[in-house]
Amino acid sequence: MAELVIENLTKRFGEVVAVDSVSIHVADGEFVTLLGPSGCGKSTTLAAVAGLDRPDGGRISVGGTVYFDERTGTFLPPEARNCGLVFQSYALWPHMTVFDNVVFPLTLRKVPSAERKRRVEEVLALVEMEPYADRYPHQLSGGQQQRVALARTLVYRPEILLLDEPLSNLDAKLRDRARTWLAELRTRLGLTTIYVTHDQIEALSLSDRIVVMNGGRIAQIGTPQDIYERPADPFVADFIGTTNFLPGRVVGAPDGGQALIELEDGQRVAVQVERRTAAPGSRVTLAYRPEQIGVVAEGEAAPDGAGSVVTARVISRAYVGGRWQVGLDLGGGPLRLETARPPSGEQVRLWLPAAGGILFQGSTDVSSE
Amino acid sequence: MSGAAVSAAGAPEARPAAHSWREAPIQYGTALLTLVLVAAPLLPVLYQSVVDRPLYDAGKELTLANFARLASTEGFGLVLWNTFVFSALTTVIAQVLGTLAAVLFGRTDMPAARVLGELFLWPIYLSALVLSFGWYTVYGPSGYLTMLWNSVFEAPFWDLYTLPGMAAIAGVSLAPVAYIYCMSSATITDPSLEEAARVSGAGTFRTLWRITLPLLMPAIAYSAVLNFTVSLELLAIPLVFGEPAGITVLTTFLYTQGVAGVRPDHGLAATAAALMLAVVCFLVWLQGRLLGNTRRFVTLGGKATRPRPFRLGRLRWPLFIICALYIAATVLAPIGVLVIRAFASFLSPMVPLLEVLSLENFTQLFEEPIYARAVWNSFVVSAVGGAIATALIAMIAVIVHRSEFRFREPLHYVALFPRAVPGVVAGVGFFYAIALMPGLGEIRNTIWILVIAFTMRYIPTGFGAVAPMLMQVSPDLDRAARVQGADWWTTCRRIILPLMRPALVACYTILFISFFKEYTTAIFLFAPGSEVIGTALLHLWIQGEAGLVAALAAIQVGVIAVCVAAARAVFGVRLHG
Ligand SMILES: Nc1ncnc2c1ncn2[C@@H]1O[C@H](COP(=O)(O)OP(=O)(O)OP(=O)(O)O)[C@@H](O)[C@H]1O
Ligand SMILES: [Mg+2]
Repeated sequence: MAELVIENLTKRFGEVVAVDSVSIHVADGEFVTLLGPSGCGKSTTLAAVAGLDRPDGGRISVGGTVYFDERTGTFLPPEARNCGLVFQSYALWPHMTVFDNVVFPLTLRKVPSAERKRRVEEVLALVEMEPYADRYPHQLSGGQQQRVALARTLVYRPEILLLDEPLSNLDAKLRDRARTWLAELRTRLGLTTIYVTHDQIEALSLSDRIVVMNGGRIAQIGTPQDIYERPADPFVADFIGTTNFLPGRVVGAPDGGQALIELEDGQRVAVQVERRTAAPGSRVTLAYRPEQIGVVAEGEAAPDGAGSVVTARVISRAYVGGRWQVGLDLGGGPLRLETARPPSGEQVRLWLPAAGGILFQGSTDVSSE
Repeated sequence: MSGAAVSAAGAPEARPAAHSWREAPIQYGTALLTLVLVAAPLLPVLYQSVVDRPLYDAGKELTLANFARLASTEGFGLVLWNTFVFSALTTVIAQVLGTLAAVLFGRTDMPAARVLGELFLWPIYLSALVLSFGWYTVYGPSGYLTMLWNSVFEAPFWDLYTLPGMAAIAGVSLAPVAYIYCMSSATITDPSLEEAARVSGAGTFRTLWRITLPLLMPAIAYSAVLNFTVSLELLAIPLVFGEPAGITVLTTFLYTQGVAGVRPDHGLAATAAALMLAVVCFLVWLQGRLLGNTRRFVTLGGKATRPRPFRLGRLRWPLFIICALYIAATVLAPIGVLVIRAFASFLSPMVPLLEVLSLENFTQLFEEPIYARAVWNSFVVSAVGGAIATALIAMIAVIVHRSEFRFREPLHYVALFPRAVPGVVAGVGFFYAIALMPGLGEIRNTIWILVIAFTMRYIPTGFGAVAPMLMQVSPDLDRAARVQGADWWTTCRRIILPLMRPALVACYTILFISFFKEYTTAIFLFAPGSEVIGTALLHLWIQGEAGLVAALAAIQVGVIAVCVAAARAVFGVRLHG
């Protein structure tokens, strides 16, 4: 059982608190993604698990083994942990061939030479790199190097697999293919994995669960659907997918699961409230995914179901290939959505379904780009 | 494929055998060895300077009397004055020549500028001792050019046996240092500043004077302090030209008081050495400060575009002729004539060269077992000693830059400290150390004491060749090895050191050449049986064997030339800077 338990992990670099009391529980065979903006402490968390940096506080254990415990002063050096870490830079050793790179961890483990050879071939086959065993890293493409780096890590069957932005050096096409390939590999091997990325599509498509980090802290942990559909705060909503934020005030008590929000220009919007209670008079922020906002053509009736129709002013329109990107002003707040046809007039009428809005307490300074 | 999947997903491997215990002894061992090596010559010097009798005598008492005695020693004031004048003059000459050369060869359209620049560098590859003999052979009282001059004019206008004469030789041999620093700054400096001046109508020389030169100032200032330090420590030129004329400087004072005198006064010598150590420490500290400033200044510049060369116009050829004459007089003549002298039984402008050509000097040299042995010893010290020193330096470098060793900062400091220890002080210090430490008696009369002393002196030099490359190796490469189960030492052996091979080869080559030409420390430490080329040269010189001196010097020049050429051709290594 290789379940990974991180409790209250803290790491400082001088004044900077890079990781601030982070707790994550990764079940055996689970694939968890750390997602967050640059500098939020993702790599630092991985380095702490791998033992490359000594944390300042907390506890890390894998299966029954304690890797680090600040209270007892336990700290296993990286070589004693049996983790697998694939670096963002791949870190293939330039003076060794692909074969030598991959066989290195087996040599360290004193695996008999016949078996060594067999296993290297096997793992190179797994990543489809058999024909390149005699090449040097600089003779490989970025995607091939990435696969060798992965093979070098898989060959010794690490207890947990740590991947630090393994796809970030690839171009968009290659990245797409590598993602599919990685998803296949992941179902086949079933290793306990922590995956670091700041690409939300990668995170959403690959993970069992996502940990969104912000400024060294955990903003939300949940399944991809949780994170996307029920973001815990405006930061998560903004970071995952494009989100439009509308400042407003609650008017009238929530009624039948719905609350009425008045925007700054006086227009009113009804939203569904489930968990969050909205006290009348309090300031709130409404968040909408662009795809949830509909355009109601002139003279057309609003769609059926609960929702509200509001009027917004058109600021900009741009053709982005097959679709139009429209910039709007709604009650003083910017709004962006994509439509099949460009809006004709200066004004558009929008359909905001009551189920599509997410309500956050207080005003927020998160602005959608 | 599915089989592969099953196996790769199989039970996790047993953890690799943990060797982590090896780390501490290796790191502490290296650090301790370095500390002992660097402290070995320093502590005895400092100790000797505050006790009332030689270190090996019983019943010593702490005293400050040595300092008072040194201050009241007759002529010591003059020694200090000579030292200062010699170093200051040398520095001025070196800076003027080096800066002019950098501007002319690096920034103008002078013909053959590259070749002239290469030749200009030659003196730094050779030992000051060999250069001194070269100058003697050409410009000495019975030198080739002196005699030529005498046959046409009255007595020559030059005299090497004076402070200005000595400073001229030293200045010429240190000018390449100023040249190198100016070149690396002149080529980096943003040319747009110069261009702006030229566009606004300033003439070539005005621009050079008002813009280019001020931009070079940080480089000139830094190399000036460097050159001042080196000339303070210079022993060969004052020994060859100063001593016969009764001009004593600190280094020759140390040499005569410390070892060469009939009754050496150890208290005085050690105190003078301590004084010199203090001064040089201060100068090295100053270098550090200035270097920081230089970097700041240089990074102000933009991209490393090559500035457009200045047009010299009508002065192009006249200036070329002056430069060519300068190179011929100060580089080609001393080295060339010395080598020719080695292959001649006698050298005079009155006698045709063909009549006196012979290999006699060499046969005679190798018939004497002492000299043959000196050549052999030099090779062994350089080849084996260079390898040992390279290994130690590599260890220090990986510990300082690639480990979590607790004392890696102090180790870094200690390893670079020998920069502040002049060769003569190291010589005196190791001399005392052998006398003091019982265990060292064994190696006293062997070349190993030289290997130890040379290694100590050149740790910073080698470190300077290794560390920059090491810092370019991505730390991810060794972190990857650690995660995969290699302990620190395995990672060093299998990953870091193999990746550093080019830097280690460069380091070894530099150390080989440095050890091969080293004499300053050696003349304090050698004994019958452990002579090296440097000490044998001085020995022959004192006996007045000009031909044998030339032959031995020619061997040194030849070996170094081969090494430099090979290093450049094979490894593309730059051996200076
Ligand atoms: N060695 C270090 N010294 C000082 N500060 C550091 C060091 N390493 C990381 N930091 C700081 O810690 C914070 C977290 O860094 P970390 O590398 O974990 O970010 P990250 O989430 O991996 O970002 P990215 O997506 O850009 O890789 C950053 O503010 C960074 O500046
Ligand atoms: Mg990172």
